[in-house]
Amino acid sequence: MSDHDHIYSTKLQDKIERNTLLMFILTALTVAVGGIVEIVPLFYLPNTAMSGGDGTYNNTQHKDLQGNAIPMDKIIWNPATSQHKTLAEWQPGDGVRPYTALETAGRYVFIREGCFLCHSQMIRPFRDEKDRYGHYSIAEESMYDHTYQWGSKRTGPDLARVGGKYSDEWHRRHLKYPREVVPESVMPNYFFLDKAAVNAEQTVKTMQVMTRMPFNPVPKSIYSDAYIAGAKAQVDGKTEMDAVIAYLQSMGNHVKFQEGVNYRD
Amino acid sequence: MEATQATPVKYDMDVVRWFTIAAIVYAVVGTLIGVYVASELAWPFLNFDIPEITFGRLRPLHTNAVIFAFGGCTLMATGFYIVQRTCSTKLWSNSLAWFTFVGWNLIIVCAVITLPLGLSQGKEYAELPWWVDIMIAVVWLSYGLNYFMTIGIRKTSHIYVSNFFTAGMIVMITYLHVVNSMAIPVDWATSYSIYSGVQDAMIQWWWGHNAVGFYLTGGFLGIMYYFIPKQSGRPVFSYRLSVLHFWTLTFGYVWLGAHHLQYTALPDWTGSLGAAVSLAMIIPSWGGAMNGMMTLSGAWDKLRTDYILRFLVTAMAFYAMSTFDGPVMAIKSVNALSHYTDWTVGHVHAGALGWMSMISFGALYHMVKKLWNTEMYSDKLVNVHFWVALIGATTYVVAMWVSGIMQGLMWRDYDEYGTLTYTFVESVSAMHPYYVMRAVGGAIFNLGAWIMLFNVVMTVRQAGAVRGTSPVAARA
Amino acid sequence: MSDNRNADSGETTTGHVWDDDLADYTNQPPRWWMIGLTASAIWVVVYFLMYPAIPIATSGTFTKGIGVPGTGQWTAVKEMEADMKDVDDVRGKFEKRLKDMAPAAILADKELSEYVSRSGKVLFSDNCAACHGQNGIGTTDKQGLFAPILNDDDWLYGGTIEQIFESIANGRQGMMMAHKTSLSAQEIDALASAVAQGNPTSTPLFTEKGCVACHGANGKGMQAMGSANLADKVWRFSGTPEGIKYTITHGVNDAGDKETRNAVMPNFSAAGKLSQSDIKKLAVYVFKFGGGKASDPAPAAN
Ligand code: HEC
Ligand code: HEC
Ligand code: HEC
Ligand code: HEM
Ligand code: HEM
Ligand SMILES: [Ca+2]
Ligand SMILES: [Ca+2]
Ligand SMILES: [Cu+2]
Repeated sequence: MSDHDHIYSTKLQDKIERNTLLMFILTALTVAVGGIVEIVPLFYLPNTAMSGGDGTYNNTQHKDLQGNAIPMDKIIWNPATSQHKTLAEWQPGDGVRPYTALETAGRYVFIREGCFLCHSQMIRPFRDEKDRYGHYSIAEESMYDHTYQWGSKRTGPDLARVGGKYSDEWHRRHLKYPREVVPESVMPNYFFLDKAAVNAEQTVKTMQVMTRMPFNPVPKSIYSDAYIAGAKAQVDGKTEMDAVIAYLQSMGNHVKFQEGVNYRD
Repeated sequence: MEATQATPVKYDMDVVRWFTIAAIVYAVVGTLIGVYVASELAWPFLNFDIPEITFGRLRPLHTNAVIFAFGGCTLMATGFYIVQRTCSTKLWSNSLAWFTFVGWNLIIVCAVITLPLGLSQGKEYAELPWWVDIMIAVVWLSYGLNYFMTIGIRKTSHIYVSNFFTAGMIVMITYLHVVNSMAIPVDWATSYSIYSGVQDAMIQWWWGHNAVGFYLTGGFLGIMYYFIPKQSGRPVFSYRLSVLHFWTLTFGYVWLGAHHLQYTALPDWTGSLGAAVSLAMIIPSWGGAMNGMMTLSGAWDKLRTDYILRFLVTAMAFYAMSTFDGPVMAIKSVNALSHYTDWTVGHVHAGALGWMSMISFGALYHMVKKLWNTEMYSDKLVNVHFWVALIGATTYVVAMWVSGIMQGLMWRDYDEYGTLTYTFVESVSAMHPYYVMRAVGGAIFNLGAWIMLFNVVMTVRQAGAVRGTSPVAARA
Repeated sequence: MSDNRNADSGETTTGHVWDDDLADYTNQPPRWWMIGLTASAIWVVVYFLMYPAIPIATSGTFTKGIGVPGTGQWTAVKEMEADMKDVDDVRGKFEKRLKDMAPAAILADKELSEYVSRSGKVLFSDNCAACHGQNGIGTTDKQGLFAPILNDDDWLYGGTIEQIFESIANGRQGMMMAHKTSLSAQEIDALASAVAQGNPTSTPLFTEKGCVACHGANGKGMQAMGSANLADKVWRFSGTPEGIKYTITHGVNDAGDKETRNAVMPNFSAAGKLSQSDIKKLAVYVFKFGGGKASDPAPAAN
């Protein structure tokens, strides 16, 4: 055993190889670095850490073509400063808003059916995506999306700006039997959504949960007690099909984008 | 210390046997579901208007079945096998290992029930409902604790390199799973991530990439470092390379998550970090691949007769290939084309079929022989499995590379008027032949898994007959 | 035992042995590999400096990276703007002119009109074909024609380019109330058979029951409200007596009737996806399917 105590790496490495605890600790530290650098800043930096539509935006600023800051309440809807005070009054272009009761129910269906496995909701700043899908997506647009739905595969088209592109009836027929409307489609038939009633209780609870989120909660000024109290009535008698269509129709027209402005700086 | 071999250790191998059989069964099931979802994209009528088997619900069942059931049982079978043998000791706790076995399989049963029902958290590879997440955490920790404690009571002076990779995996997966699964439940079925938008996306892909990097790669490198030298009967080519391979990979891989989010609404710096370090990962990865291949240098002739070795070596070739393909896809300009397309799926399965499955098959065959202390029922069938798997994997990967690149090019093509040339639907119908080809390739690959299952069942039966009633060999 | 392995190749192992015969050689990693590893580390640092890669905010914005020499500081949006230039070189000259022109003027301009009809395929197909079919031939499913055929001469709202533009820019939603309570089954039957023959005025019910209010005294429809021409045997929904009966019974876009026929043309200005230029181009594109009508004299009713 002549060579036995010879170290062919380094003293430290040799020590680690002999000491379970040391190996555990050093491994645990080594694997922590990259994640911390990439994740933690996103909770603090402007443009990503915007909090809510109650005016608590974290310095997020976009500049118009003259170099003036675009007021944040033009990007994120704040009922306190907007002329439209409630979710029911909100108009496209008023800024990013949380989902209505019916849309919340629809979003649940969207996640349950795994639509995100075929449809992205994230338009990248490329000329072809702009031509095909519209303005590139910005961070604020998914700030209320607890469990983000950007997807990673486009078996079907991007849906980030599908709202208003079709009528409810088109969506209904398309979702029920896609190939009747688009013969080339490979999307499954979702006719069964038309037969299932929205779970009102779950929807209300979901909205309450959204106000309790530690990061980017929906402000109580928007999901007010009164609004949540009325949520049940909003979804009563609706089918899951109605809900998912409402969700689809809500996507993409919250912010009024100006040509030529960089919304990603 | 190295004198341990003089006094044979009686290992706890029953639990390993069960994990081994489970892994093989799940290989069949997981790839079968893969074939089915592939066929649904080729022939959508296969959704059969049954909500539980529509593509959106079945695809997560496929990914969970191959990653957690097939991959997980392989990792646990090999992990418990390697750690005992390289530490020359029994498991720290055999009953805890049984707890891990039962718990892990219970989780798989829960997945099989909940995913088709549509219980999904909406995060890729982390779809399972919140209470299953808790089960996963508990069972994973039971595995980790047992693993580290067994290393702790080892009889050898040094910790073997395989155990480093597995230890790195155990620690990282614990971090990833705990952080990424943070959610507030609405009811027993539904919950929503506490993070939203950009933060949620970054955390998801920090999880997503490192599930690949530490679980599907790191864990399986642990397998590689044990089974290649064992099966070829030769020492690892370079100790120093093993050490460097481990630390560079362990430190570097963690940064790559952001390459899944290039050009998205995250700030540009995140994508840059992911891209830069991704490219820097070619060399460490290839170091590992080379270490495996060079271990065989001088023993290449064995490949002619040793079919198990063929699996192991082919796996290293695919490992090298997919760790080249991946970094290339991380380059900004390439990712602009490849992201959202089938190219990603091709890359995934080059890794999953070529690397992770092949190395698993090799290791599982090796273990079956040792665990039941017998030869394979049919070596010929091992060889058939090898060729079937290779043809299936290649067909799959080639089909997806072609379709992915075609998809990417069609989406961005501009005509002579400066306007888009193809409609989206044209790209959908152009994919059809490749989706058919993938389904066929997948079916071939799946056939291989059936052959393996048959061969192993026959082997175990034959071993049982030889050994009579005594189930445990003295030295497993 | 540990050093016995040397016999195999003449190389030495580290001297550690696990599980009977596991060992590792003391070979150095190949030189190219060590060089590659160093180069990788340098690469990472250089890349971090060149591209925006450091997550520290300076006065509300992010460090931009020093940039690739000669190309300026890279950002994704800048890259898009540069790419835009390539296509703008081709289409820019057309787009610039058409931006401030009325649809009719674009149509009249030979060059622009040619540009639009040659380049509008994806714009129409990705946005409109889902309802109106490729080239405006219409889409049908179990429930009949989904949206009006756009390549024929039959127009609900008139076929001038201004009217077509109006339809796309502001959307359309024709309204006809359900008649299931106001008419008896026999009355509906009578109306339906008259309409099916292309001769709605052949029954007095047509006037008595108020159909003329929308479809005009002669039953030829009123384009101001998009009521269909019932005398031309060109059918918006269905020309069978059953289909017509259905329309009369349940109406069109009648929110009070669950089974009503739905006919909503989205408002593409509000959807926010298409620019005004896009909408103008689409008006020209649709007009040129062949069914477009000359703008004057402006057709009012009939
Ligand atoms: C198997 C993949 C797949 C799944 C799962 C899927 N889709 Fe699709 N989807 C497609 C394809 C392919 C298209 C394009 C062809 C078409 O219009 O049908 C499409 C188109 C669409 C469109 C039209 C988009 C546009 O701009 O033209 C909408 C809206 C849509 N899907 C919504 C959904 C929803 C909601 C779900 C889940 C309930 C879903 N999809 C599930 C594949 C899928
Ligand atoms: C959701 C389905 C849908 C989409 C998408 C759609 N349309 Fe329509 N369109 C309709 C319906 C329904 C009508 C009839 C409205 C009515 O009866 O009041 C209509 C009417 C029209 C008309 C008037 C036809 C007439 O007879 O006067 C024109 C022109 C038109 N659409 C063009 C377009 C163009 C161009 C696009 C794409 C930008 C488009 N449509 C997208 C459903 C759609
Ligand atoms: C409030 C106005 C209004 C009244 C009153 C009205 N209609 Fe209509 N009708 C419409 C409109 C608008 C359409 C076209 C709907 C569309 O395509 O969007 C239409 C369409 C129709 C069609 C379908 C034509 C086709 O091409 O498929 C029939 C049939 C019809 N009406 C019959 C009648 C009869 C019979 C009455 C009287 C009992 C009547 N309508 C009363 C507004 C009216
Ligand atoms: C017979 C073999 C297999 C077939 C036919 C198959 C088929 C498929 C299909 C059709 C998809 C969906 C792709 C899409 O959405 O377009 C998929 C996804 C996936 N499969 Fe497989 N698969 C097989 C084996 C495996 C194995 C062994 C693994 C091991 C880990 C695996 C891991 C994955 C992963 C991770 C994804 C998700 C990819 C992504 O999101 O990009 N597959 N597979
Ligand atoms: C150095 C090594 C690797 C690098 C740099 C790398 C890089 C990448 C990149 C850039 C993507 C595409 C991201 C996107 O555009 O969405 C990707 C996807 C993926 N890779 Fe790798 N890869 C590597 C090795 C591997 C290996 C060995 C495996 C498998 C065992 C693997 C499994 C996957 C999976 C499953 C995905 C799909 C994620 C999704 O669902 O979108 N990768 N990888
Ligand atoms: Ca994916
Ligand atoms: Ca008519
Ligand atoms: Cu990755």
